[in-house]
Amino acid sequence: MAAAISCLIFLFVLVCLSAAVFEDQAGKFDWRQQYVGKVKFAYFDSQTQASRKLVVATEQNVIASLNSRNGDIFWRQVDKTGPEGHIDTVLVHGQDAIMVSGNGRLLRSWEITVGGLNWETVLDTGSFQCAGFVGVQDSVKYVAVLKKTAISLHYLSNGHQKWVENLPDSETVQYEVVYSGGSGLVYVLGVVPHSHLTITAYNLEDGEIMKQVSVEALWLESLKPGCAVVGDGVLVCADPASRSLYTLKLEEEHEQEMRQVLLQSLDVEVSDGFQPRVLATQPSPARHPNAEFSLQLGPDHHILLQLGDDVITPLRDFQQALLVSFATTGEKTVAVVMSPKNETAYSINLFSADSGRRLLETSTTFNLDPNGGKPERLYVHAFLKKDDSVGYRVLVQTEDHALIFVQQPGRVLWIREEALAEVVTMEMVDLPLTGTQAELEGEFGKKADGLLGMVLKRLSSQLILLQSWTAHLWKMFCDARQPRSMVKNEVTIETLARDEFNLQKMMVMVTASGKLFGIESSFGTILWKHFLQKVQPSSSFKLVVQRTTAHFPHPPQCTLIIKDKDTGLSTLHVFNPIFGKRSHITPPSLGRPILQSLLLPLMDQDYAKVLLLIDNEYKVTAFPSAKRVLQQLQEMASLVFFYLVDADQGKLSGFRLRRDLTTELIWEVVIPTEVQRIVSVKGKRANEHVHSQGRVMGDRSVLYKYLNPNLLAVVTESSDSHPERSFVGMYLIDGVTGRIIHEAVQRKARGPVYFVHSENWVVYQYWNTKSRRNEFSVLELYEGTEQYNSTAFSSLDRPLTPQVLQQSYIFPSAISQLEATITEKGITSRHLLVGLPSGAILSLPKMFLDPRRPEVPSEQSREENLIPYAPEMPIRSEWFINYNQTVTRAKGIYTAPSGLESTCLVVAYGLDIYQTRVYPSKQFDVLNDDYDYMLISSVLFGLVFTTMISKRLAQVKLLNRAWR
Amino acid sequence: MSSPGSTSVAAVAVRGGGAKKLKWSLELGLGNPRRGDRQGNQGDCLYPVGYSDKPVPDTSVHETDRNLVEKRCWDVALAPLKQIPMNLFIMYMAGNTISIFPIMMVCMMAWRPIQALMSVSATFKLLDSSSQQWLQGLVYLIGNLLGLALAIYKCQSMGLLPTHSSDWLAFIEPPEKMEYLGGGMVL
Repeated sequence: MAAAISCLIFLFVLVCLSAAVFEDQAGKFDWRQQYVGKVKFAYFDSQTQASRKLVVATEQNVIASLNSRNGDIFWRQVDKTGPEGHIDTVLVHGQDAIMVSGNGRLLRSWEITVGGLNWETVLDTGSFQCAGFVGVQDSVKYVAVLKKTAISLHYLSNGHQKWVENLPDSETVQYEVVYSGGSGLVYVLGVVPHSHLTITAYNLEDGEIMKQVSVEALWLESLKPGCAVVGDGVLVCADPASRSLYTLKLEEEHEQEMRQVLLQSLDVEVSDGFQPRVLATQPSPARHPNAEFSLQLGPDHHILLQLGDDVITPLRDFQQALLVSFATTGEKTVAVVMSPKNETAYSINLFSADSGRRLLETSTTFNLDPNGGKPERLYVHAFLKKDDSVGYRVLVQTEDHALIFVQQPGRVLWIREEALAEVVTMEMVDLPLTGTQAELEGEFGKKADGLLGMVLKRLSSQLILLQSWTAHLWKMFCDARQPRSMVKNEVTIETLARDEFNLQKMMVMVTASGKLFGIESSFGTILWKHFLQKVQPSSSFKLVVQRTTAHFPHPPQCTLIIKDKDTGLSTLHVFNPIFGKRSHITPPSLGRPILQSLLLPLMDQDYAKVLLLIDNEYKVTAFPSAKRVLQQLQEMASLVFFYLVDADQGKLSGFRLRRDLTTELIWEVVIPTEVQRIVSVKGKRANEHVHSQGRVMGDRSVLYKYLNPNLLAVVTESSDSHPERSFVGMYLIDGVTGRIIHEAVQRKARGPVYFVHSENWVVYQYWNTKSRRNEFSVLELYEGTEQYNSTAFSSLDRPLTPQVLQQSYIFPSAISQLEATITEKGITSRHLLVGLPSGAILSLPKMFLDPRRPEVPSEQSREENLIPYAPEMPIRSEWFINYNQTVTRAKGIYTAPSGLESTCLVVAYGLDIYQTRVYPSKQFDVLNDDYDYMLISSVLFGLVFTTMISKRLAQVKLLNRAWR
Repeated sequence: MSSPGSTSVAAVAVRGGGAKKLKWSLELGLGNPRRGDRQGNQGDCLYPVGYSDKPVPDTSVHETDRNLVEKRCWDVALAPLKQIPMNLFIMYMAGNTISIFPIMMVCMMAWRPIQALMSVSATFKLLDSSSQQWLQGLVYLIGNLLGLALAIYKCQSMGLLPTHSSDWLAFIEPPEKMEYLGGGMVL
């Protein structure tokens, strides 16, 4: 009986909580943007003008096809992260893209048009060196894969291996290049550094070694990138030391030496620090490469050379050429040269590769965003026009990972911001009020200047309001006349304004490339971007909002702390989060590496919150550092504490601020690294509000929550990874006193641990190695039925330890992210947002993770609405907040409160970016979307009307009766 | 507007002519002329204004009714007490669940004594004529107070009274934060 009742309660709860998206709501409040990552290889589909496809492979282990008309993704295949799915090389032939991935582990062939897998072959072990097509008699049939110790040949049609041969002397010789000129031989070039070069030729049919030559080359260290095979199988190498080119004929039968050609003899000036790169082009793998090649002499100096019969002749010298690339269409090969015109404009010119002549009417000039990076790579799609002249389109890749597609004459067709595939951290900032609202606020914000002046100011602002209102009405009128589909809600930086419920915000995103983005949250339009030069890829970032938009006329202010991990030096970038402009405020110069930061609620006279930066000598720098701020800081110094976690040494330490802005060590907790290592530490979110200070029990008493704002959750993992001995530790430490409040150890458990620390609870997820399943565990802390001090919380005055409750559950899936919803006042119940590896985001009610769930339901537990304990946690498909809009490789979920208490804004980022709203307790403060205004108002009016009529009728009737 | 035939004040209104229906008429005679009309035109018999042909009852207080007054006053005084068993029964039947009918009943039960207590002076005036006026007043008061207590007890047993700490939970302000803490993993 009891079981049946509990079952019923459970079902009831489930029914109550189901809150899926309706079909017509899809895409109304949410959007998704898909990215591919930084491009490593790019190929154009075919050499015709009508071609629309572009195949790219990226550093994010993604192979994708882009539409060259608008930059959309046709298809995208995402491989595993890390070295396992690392794309080594991609070669495109016809409709097939051949890809080697996982350091030579897999050879795959993709169908370009639809993105299907043609075939896949597992290759022998060995680190990958090079791959190339092998053709005979004008047809390409094989692909050769060169590994460190072996070479194998595979059929292009089905991936089967034709033959595999071990390479001779592979311990000493570094084999680097495979070459085939369509002659029935496959050449493998290897080098013994500073000794000699070996050339091995294999028979295409059976893999027999036909020839083995070694040539002395004392200067040669590596074949890449200073060497290339040019013309009829001639190896051309550039030597920076002697400033000369060396040539060697590969197909020569007898022993030979490398021929030296001094660059000076070619009338070429070579600058110091010459890092040569030889770029050759082979239009078809079944034929010899072209005899023309380009040599890079300096950062913006290239030269086009031609190899004749043992003679190298310079064709054209490109001074001021940033990038040079070759493209072939039909029988014509062109050299494409990109040179800077001024700060932001670049021009592209085409030169005939045979003669070095400039082709007429091929010049293109285009502008790049001044806040972006410089062009880094150039991919050219050349085609023959109807009049037999060469037309082209260019894909430019810049330092900030952006892809820019340029069409003749200088029209930028589309831009893809691939830096957004690697978002590191983000914040959501309130939008400013509209200009008129701001005007009104400004009126009250400024100092009074006489009665008359005030009156005039008021009148003028009212006039402005009236004007904007009429403009608004006019716009509404115009919009109403147009058909619905024509009206576009375009958001630009000029029309940016806060909506009445503050649901639209500015997302400030920091990417690993050092590019900052300002994205408006309701449509996902990128409103500003700013590329920070000289940011190392390994840097760590911390973004803080120092001043919000609430302090008009002071602009909002964000500060980004950038720390270069290699040099340890830190810089501050202070900017306006709404417009992306660098602030005119000069940040303090940081002489020493910054370890951590603390944002105090203390404000300076311009309402900017004070940011404290602690350096590696444990001295504190304040920013802003006005005199008044420093004075206030001195007064409250004894209340400011820092904690630093050094995961390498397994040490947590706490510091107290002194009046002279130095710190003193007050506590230290050492977690020995031999046994366990600290994985992650999380405090509580500063903007989190807890509405209810306790929980109501079944007997109507209160269990007060232990809401320590200084509590830190520290997660450790054992260094021993044996399934029997591994464990996961969870420490709850008070950050002010260093007191360990609670310690929980999960034996036979393994990371990665995902956890959320909020209010009075910690939820964490781990892998149970014994039962081989994922488990959720929840810790809740309570003070008990009495509050120690209900007016103030000081960690220094808390003699009682809290009561800790814990419960664990089985979760049927692995997870990739965990975050909790947050709302303005904290009245709405909390949900956990669980990112699953499939890309779905699950909104899991926190009430399922409640350590007070009883095993046997009682009267009181029913009174409390506690769900009876069930070890299995359900995953219900209507809990997926992103229906079919999966977020591939979710790296973070960010939640922000909106102006509505019921609504929480969610941004999930990874390879894709997805933004939506969630309503954990449903929309209790908003009328439904499908609320029938017509019906209600017509009923209301009808009732009023009938009352009036019936009143009149009753009066008449009364009068009549009185007369009778 | 009015028809010219209605000008004679004391005359009997002439009725029956369908077309000549009077808008109004004034009769200073006794009885219901309209009924008289319908009952067959007995309107000839006219009485002076204020004349009644029924005998007026004798309203003078007799000495023998004194006991009756006393009894009546006790009835008034004991009425609230008499209701209590009935209320108890209703309370028992209503149960402790919070739904619309029990709430309505509790409201009624609480409202009646309050109403009675508010109009206590009027009731006392009623009891003026009795000799045991003070005792009756006291009993009446006690009865009402008991009824009120019963209603409060019912509220209490239904859990409607804010007597537990949980009822005041929503009003507790979050405690003020005394220290400022910041930091994290070394960047």
